[in-house]
Amino acid sequence: MLEESKMEKKLLFRASNITKVFAGTRALKGVDLDIYEGEVVGLIGENGAGKSTLLKIIIGVQPQTQGEMTMFGKPYEPKTPRDANGAGIGMVFQEQSLIVNLTVGQNIFFGQEKKFRKYGFVNWKKMYKDTETALENVSCSHIPARKKVLDLNFATRQMVEIAKVVNLTRSSGHDHCLILLDEPTSVLNETEVQQLFTEIRKLTAQGHSVVFVSHRLDEILAISDRVYVYKDGENAGNMPTADADEAKLYEMMVGHSTTTEYYKLDQQRKPDPEAVLDIKNLGLHGVFKNVSFKLNKGEILGIVGVVGSGKEDICSVICGDEHPTFGEMYVKGEKRTYFSPAQALSDGVLMIPKERMEEGIVSGLSVNENIAMSNVRLLRSGPFLSSKKMVGQSDEWIKRLRIKTAGKDELLARLSGGNQQKVVFARALCSQSDILILNHPTRGVDVGAKEEIYGLIRDMVKQGKSVILLGDTLDECIGMSNRIIVMCDGLVTGEFDAPVEDKPTQVSVVSLMM
Amino acid sequence: MAASTNSQATITDEFATKIKAENTRARITRIAPMLVLFALVLFFSILRGSVFLSIGNLSAILNQLAIPLLIAMGLTFVIMIGCIDLSIDGSVGMAGSLMSLLVLNTKNGNNLGLLGLVLAVLASVLIGAIIGVIYVKLKIPSFMVSFSFMYICMGLAMLSYGGIPATITDTFLVSVPKMNFIGIPIITWVAIAMFCVAYFIQEYTAFGRYIYAVGTDENIPRMAGVDVNRVKILVFAFAGLCFGIAGVLGGIRLGQGQMQIGTGTMFPAQAAVVVGGTALSGGKGGILNTLIGVLIITVLDDGLLLMSVNPYIKTGIQGLIILVAVALTVTRSNKIIMK
Repeated sequence: MLEESKMEKKLLFRASNITKVFAGTRALKGVDLDIYEGEVVGLIGENGAGKSTLLKIIIGVQPQTQGEMTMFGKPYEPKTPRDANGAGIGMVFQEQSLIVNLTVGQNIFFGQEKKFRKYGFVNWKKMYKDTETALENVSCSHIPARKKVLDLNFATRQMVEIAKVVNLTRSSGHDHCLILLDEPTSVLNETEVQQLFTEIRKLTAQGHSVVFVSHRLDEILAISDRVYVYKDGENAGNMPTADADEAKLYEMMVGHSTTTEYYKLDQQRKPDPEAVLDIKNLGLHGVFKNVSFKLNKGEILGIVGVVGSGKEDICSVICGDEHPTFGEMYVKGEKRTYFSPAQALSDGVLMIPKERMEEGIVSGLSVNENIAMSNVRLLRSGPFLSSKKMVGQSDEWIKRLRIKTAGKDELLARLSGGNQQKVVFARALCSQSDILILNHPTRGVDVGAKEEIYGLIRDMVKQGKSVILLGDTLDECIGMSNRIIVMCDGLVTGEFDAPVEDKPTQVSVVSLMM
Repeated sequence: MAASTNSQATITDEFATKIKAENTRARITRIAPMLVLFALVLFFSILRGSVFLSIGNLSAILNQLAIPLLIAMGLTFVIMIGCIDLSIDGSVGMAGSLMSLLVLNTKNGNNLGLLGLVLAVLASVLIGAIIGVIYVKLKIPSFMVSFSFMYICMGLAMLSYGGIPATITDTFLVSVPKMNFIGIPIITWVAIAMFCVAYFIQEYTAFGRYIYAVGTDENIPRMAGVDVNRVKILVFAFAGLCFGIAGVLGGIRLGQGQMQIGTGTMFPAQAAVVVGGTALSGGKGGILNTLIGVLIITVLDDGLLLMSVNPYIKTGIQGLIILVAVALTVTRSNKIIMK
């Protein structure tokens, strides 16, 4: 399997046949990763391809279910990130892990103050001297060791993180270490990205290796020596970057399209020409901008993009959870500005949220009460809630959606994921909303429940409701939608019609997402 | 607003400007307490200059400042780790009451002298540590644990002197409130000494770093191998130490040990910490901020008194100030800071 040119280089790290099972679902299905000394390896894959899970296993945040890892040819089994550091592996997490009210030096040596203790006090002078050495080691001596992180820009903060990690792994006594960078460029501008690349090159010139995860293919092609592609938790191949180009990588990243019955394509109908939602130049400062589209009656509009592309924020704005900075929104022909989801609901706009456990269900309330939550107005009898009306309503929906439950009084916590989601749908349906935003409606439910949910969505549009769909997978979004909008870095980068007979290919959509 | 929609700036640039604006705001809120203090001094100097700036009044301010400063310092670390301690009225009163019963007094035959003071303070440290342990082990919110302990301590204090407070008869201790060194009362010197200790802990020990880290995001120190629970318990114990010293000094000043030593001490301390710029969300501010906050509260109190403002209105003004200070320091847009 090894390429000729790599044979001379020493193997630094190897993960083989890594499998990870989360509550029954397999996030990783036997993936491999080899890292040689002094190289940059790019990892790519769609959302949910397993990149983040693999990194978390390597750094010791969570253990693998199966498979082995070696470092310097020896078995490597980290229990915590500290173990990983001790073995010569460090990671810069996507979320910031610097304490902004401390200085650069205090951050780099955070947790190691004992080394500088003198008469019970920390000898800051010595710590800052060592900080300067640590910064020099990653060729960043221009960063002031005594400055508070608060006062640094993001590229510099990123370099401080890297200096911290390199220093930690170096103090393990190994000459060469492996640095994992998870989406390090997401908050950097172009000049800063170039700066970061220069620093990475300096690191690898010293024999260190870097794993670089990014959803930006151009960056992967620019910085990495080899690329690994993952798809749905499986190996999709790896190659030297010299042999790769964007088209080839897109091809490897996307999965096979699923059969037409699965998405009930025979039930896909042409939407009415009447627009129920008209968005003009909508923007949220620093998140997305210049977004314009129309949603027609009886249409399923898919919005696709990687995490952070702004697609979820658009939905938050439409359903009233966030207030837009720019632009206008017309709901059923009338100009609307929402300050809360309650306001949006009174216009018939409702979102089915992504995080079912946190935003979707009240697990300590019954099926009955959960269904009634969005439409108490219709269930009133005088000033009180009519339990007769409530019970009648939930009996009907339990039957119609085939919700598997011991009864309408069962607590929602006891239902399976798929059935909980059906309760959320029942709530949305009986709220009489006709513009529904479905944010990952099939997230974490099994295949059978997925199919039922697809059927439900088809029924909804048949009744004249309109749907904005953020799919769990690209395939799902293409399969279900009449039209697809592609977003990248807060901007709309493309729009596809997706009629039954002429669905766009995943490759063509993905190429606009990255 | 409309203009920026048409601009060529990318989302990354917009994000950067947003962060920049936020940092500028943060920098302004950082120096705001200093400006407020300066403005207050100026204000009262102009309106009541001759009295306000008199040696007598300045020394009164220094005298008044001692106990609020001690209490506020203990509270500072607690707030910096993102918790709150509401036990103050109780622990301060308890330490004062216990002290009066351990030194030479009218109620019993004890005469432990300085050791009595130390024991009373240690009792308060113990209460602080227990609050910390219950908070981290039983995972009950700190405000609820400490609130319960306010009443537990009040009960203990009342029980200890059985309704009739003990009067201190130790001649040295009776003379302490009148003692001063270069014009500054001894009691204030104790507060200044504790201030130095707290400042050194904050700036020159690893523990000081951990306080900031726990307040910023507990997961960071936990991942770095820091015993976060231990840090939290120590912070509450240190708060107990400060409250204990405050209670003992309060008792000495009053010449008697009773619950009332603690009554009403919490509010000015909370106000001082928050007005000084230590955010209730944790991770920000520090001991120096608290010194400025205590100065603001004391100067305001003194100034309003000099202007013969109705004391009820005075209390109302303090409440308003706390609200404004919290409103200015609180981070509302957490979503953006995340990444």
